[in-house]
Amino acid sequence: MDGTAKVIAAATMPQLLIAGLVKRFPVRGKPEGILALDGINLDVHPGEFVLLLGPSGCGKSTLLNVIAGFLTPTEGHVLHEGQEVVRPDRRRTVVFQDYALFPWMTVQKNVEFGLKTQGVSLKERAEVAKHFIDLVRLSGFEDRFPHEISGGMKQRAAIARALAPNPDILLMDEPFGALDAQTRVLLQEEVVRISAETKKTVLFVTHSIEEAVFLGDRIVVMSARPGRIRAEYVVPIGRPRTPETRSLPEFITLAQDLWHTLKPEWQDDKTKEDIEESNS
Amino acid sequence: MNTSTVRHVAGFAAFIGLWQFFATVGWINPVLLPSPERLLFAAWELFAEGVLVEHTIASLWRVLVGFLLAGLVGIAFGVVLGWSRVLSDLVRPIVESLRPIPPIAWTPIAILWFGVGNAPSYFLVFIGAVFPVFVNTFSAVRNIDRVQINAALCLGAGPGILIRDILIPASLPIIFPGLRIALGVGWMCVVAAELIAAQSGLGYMIQQNRVLLQTQNVVTGMITIGLVGFAMSALMSMLERRLIPWMERPK
Repeated sequence: MDGTAKVIAAATMPQLLIAGLVKRFPVRGKPEGILALDGINLDVHPGEFVLLLGPSGCGKSTLLNVIAGFLTPTEGHVLHEGQEVVRPDRRRTVVFQDYALFPWMTVQKNVEFGLKTQGVSLKERAEVAKHFIDLVRLSGFEDRFPHEISGGMKQRAAIARALAPNPDILLMDEPFGALDAQTRVLLQEEVVRISAETKKTVLFVTHSIEEAVFLGDRIVVMSARPGRIRAEYVVPIGRPRTPETRSLPEFITLAQDLWHTLKPEWQDDKTKEDIEESNS
Repeated sequence: MNTSTVRHVAGFAAFIGLWQFFATVGWINPVLLPSPERLLFAAWELFAEGVLVEHTIASLWRVLVGFLLAGLVGIAFGVVLGWSRVLSDLVRPIVESLRPIPPIAWTPIAILWFGVGNAPSYFLVFIGAVFPVFVNTFSAVRNIDRVQINAALCLGAGPGILIRDILIPASLPIIFPGLRIALGVGWMCVVAAELIAAQSGLGYMIQQNRVLLQTQNVVTGMITIGLVGFAMSALMSMLERRLIPWMERPK
């Protein structure tokens, strides 16, 4: 490969490449285990905001955990800038649904943690942390412990903590699932603003169609049992996204399309639950 | 003073008052149970002679040594066995079969092994205190929140930081109550040990005075044990609040 070809390859190479990914979980009495993810192929390019959308149990969180390096694939590959992902590292940080802030650290110390692990000096740590605490609008709450602040503020702190070590990709695992509807809308707008300011690649898991359309450049729809990629949609709405975005005709059309695509899954899910309930 | 404190004091005063009343009118045999007045006098005498302080310090020292040993061993075993499933499978059955043996039942063998003096007391305090520390540390490490570990790993934590900044602080809220219980048990054990296997300490003092039928000194010893135990527990609670300021506590 000559120099030009290399440059082109580098420019077009996805930041994250998932090829033929299969994940099985062992279960007692079933030698083949449970198939959680099957034949997943996905490319994510730098700066993209990609949504993983699907009903509960479709394996979208499992997929995110494999990408983070918390779980190893049974088959297939996850490549981060051409390198096989084998363990978690701070180029891919995670925002968890239940915040996973360290309760024994103040907001400040939580945000500093990803810098402390790298031996960054106290002074620099404090400066970087201040920047990100400002970015998520938590100034004034630096010295609070997580149990002293609201759910929405905890998630802001968790976002700042994930951004502080300057990752390539931000992985968000249903981060607003535990929040009330109003806080959720506010934080969606915050994430839009923050991702625009930091220009990070974001991979965001949700089961909310509205959230997916509002946030995503691209929506990857997954189906359940086994988790497969069922369809991909490019969101035909430019940026910046604002509260008015939600009433655009394109927004409504895409949301309806997605609902029709996913409806059978939800109904299936519901029927299964009903059967399970009537059996028990 | 709030109403609750007032009630505490009132209840206690009524108890002492009734006791004194029954003693004064002669309904209580002073050899079996001395009056509060007589106890106060006895306590003052023992204190003034320095006997009470001397014995208390002897007991405290033994608890301290046994408790520190139990803390070190209990936490170390708890962390290692909590972390390694293989070691835990190997060692836990032994631990679980030793745990139900009351510390008092170890006294004869403690004397056999260590003679009379400080050593059997250290040992008995250790035996009493080590299990609560171990059990709490073990379950703290075993039940550590996997998501928090993952969060730390994706933020670049290596093994050193993982243990120091995540594992230990995450376990402290469960280890600490174990330490508090251990100190209480240790304090009970030291008195039991001294009743039989020592030449000093509050337990020894009680035993001596029983033989001499000095009931007021026996009861003084008992009350001192109660007060010291209460102070220890309060001290541990204070330390806990200091060391674990992030913990949500029921109001």
